[in-house]
Amino acid sequence: MRSSWQVTCSVWHAMFMREAGARIMADRFGWFWMFAEPVAYVVIMIGVREMLGRTRFVIGADFIPWLITGLMAFNLFRDGVTRSLGAVEANKGLFAYRQVKPVDPVLVRCVLEGILKSLVFLILIGGATLLGHPMLPAAPLEAAHVWLSVWLLGVGCGLVVSAGGALISELGRFVRMAMLPMFMLSGAIIPVQMLPHAVQQKMLYNPVLHGLESLRLCFFPLYKTVQGVDLLYVWLSALAALALGLALHVRFARQLKMQ
Amino acid sequence: MIQVKNVYKRYRNRHGSGWVLRDINFTVPRGISVGLVGRNGAGKSTLLRLIGGMDHPDRGEIIRKCRVSWPIGLAGGFQGSMTGRQNVKFVARIHGNDSFIDDVIRKVEEFAELGPAFDEPVKTYSSGMRSRLAFGLSLAFDFDLYISDEATAVGDKSFKEKATQAFKEKVGKAGLIIVSHSEGILKELCQAGIWLDQGQAYWFDDIQDAIAAYHESIRRS
Repeated sequence: MRSSWQVTCSVWHAMFMREAGARIMADRFGWFWMFAEPVAYVVIMIGVREMLGRTRFVIGADFIPWLITGLMAFNLFRDGVTRSLGAVEANKGLFAYRQVKPVDPVLVRCVLEGILKSLVFLILIGGATLLGHPMLPAAPLEAAHVWLSVWLLGVGCGLVVSAGGALISELGRFVRMAMLPMFMLSGAIIPVQMLPHAVQQKMLYNPVLHGLESLRLCFFPLYKTVQGVDLLYVWLSALAALALGLALHVRFARQLKMQ
Repeated sequence: MIQVKNVYKRYRNRHGSGWVLRDINFTVPRGISVGLVGRNGAGKSTLLRLIGGMDHPDRGEIIRKCRVSWPIGLAGGFQGSMTGRQNVKFVARIHGNDSFIDDVIRKVEEFAELGPAFDEPVKTYSSGMRSRLAFGLSLAFDFDLYISDEATAVGDKSFKEKATQAFKEKVGKAGLIIVSHSEGILKELCQAGIWLDQGQAYWFDDIQDAIAAYHESIRRS
C-alpha cells in the first residue's frame, strides 16, 4: 500500500508529464509556440506603446525593460488564473481514477505555467539586454522572490476561481471579462505614478499592482514607485486566496467531480 | 472486501431529486463475483460508481479493504492529442512507481495488438482500437476487485475471444462486480447477484436467483 502522499506525488508527476506533453503536442511546433507566443505578445505590446504611447518616461527606469517586467509579471498572474479556470472541466475524464482529485489538475497547470513563464522571462531579459536595453535585475534574489509571490497570488486566485467556476458556471465568463480592466489597473503598461493621488489610493487595493511595482523595484535600483507599495500585501493576499481556494476544493470536492 | 453501509444516494437537479438508492446494505466477500441486475434507472451504474469511488454517497459509507479498479474498458480518460503509449504511461504513473511502468506498457502493447498505431495520437484511433487500448489497460493491472459497466470485449472475433479469455483468468483470481443486461455473461462470470429495485438492494447468493427475482418483477408490473 502506498501512503496518501506517495499517491499524490505520483498523480502530480503523471499529470505534469501529461499536461506538458499535451501543450507540446497541441499543434505543429507546439514546443516553439510555447515560448514564441508570450515573447511575441510582449514584443507587440512594446511596439504599440512605442508608436502610441505619450508617456515613455518612467522615473528611474528604461521604458522597455520597465514594460517587460510589468507585462510578464501580469501575464504570470493572469495565466495562473485563466489556465486554472478550465483545468477541472478539461480533466473530468480523469476523475474515474480515484487517485485524481479536482485540485490536482489546477495545481499542476499552475506549476507548468509558472515554469514556462519563468523561462520566457529569462529569454526576454537576455534578449532585451543583448538588444541594448540592459535589464539584468539589480537584486536578482529579491526579484525571484517577488516573481514567486506573484505566481503564488495567481495560484491562489486560480484555486478560488476553479472551485467557484465549477459551482457557478458564469464565474469563468466574469473572470475572463475582468482580466482586461485588471490589466489596466495593475500598472502593467500605464505608470501609476502619472495618475492623480486619489486614483492611486484606490488602485493600491489591487495586490497585483503591489507585486508588479515590487518586482520593478528589484530590477531598477533608482526606480521611484508610488507610496504604499508593499510586498507583504501581496503575500497576505496570496495566502488568503490559497487558503480559501484549498478550502473550497476540500469542501466542494464531490460537486467538482460531478458537475 | 467491500462493505456498503446504509448508503443513500440522490442526484439533485432542477427537476427535483428522488432517491436513487435508499438505505443499501451488503457486504461483498473477497474473491466473489457479483452481478448487478435491475431495470433501467434502478441505480445499477450509480451503485457501481459509488463502489468504484468515483462518486460519494449522500449518507452512509462504503468501506473498501482492497484495491478496486476503475470501470473496465473506460476510454474517457484518454487525451486525444497524445499517443496510446503516452496515455498508458500516464495511467501507469498514477498507479505506481517507475519500475512497473515499463511492465504495464509492455503488457498493454502486447495485448491491444495495435501495432504501429500504439505510437499514434489516440484521436486518430477508431472506436474499436480505442476500446482495445482501454481493455488492455484495465487488464494490465492486478486489482483485487474489478468493476465493469456493460463493458465486455469489443472488437473483431479474434480479439473478442482473446479478451474474454484474459478477462476470465483475471476475474478467477480476483473479484468482480458487473452491470450487464446480458444474462449469459452474468451467469458465466458471477456467483452471487444483487437485484436493485425501487432504491433497495436484495442480495442473492446465487446469480440465478437474482435474475429470477428480476424477471418476476418485470412480469408483475
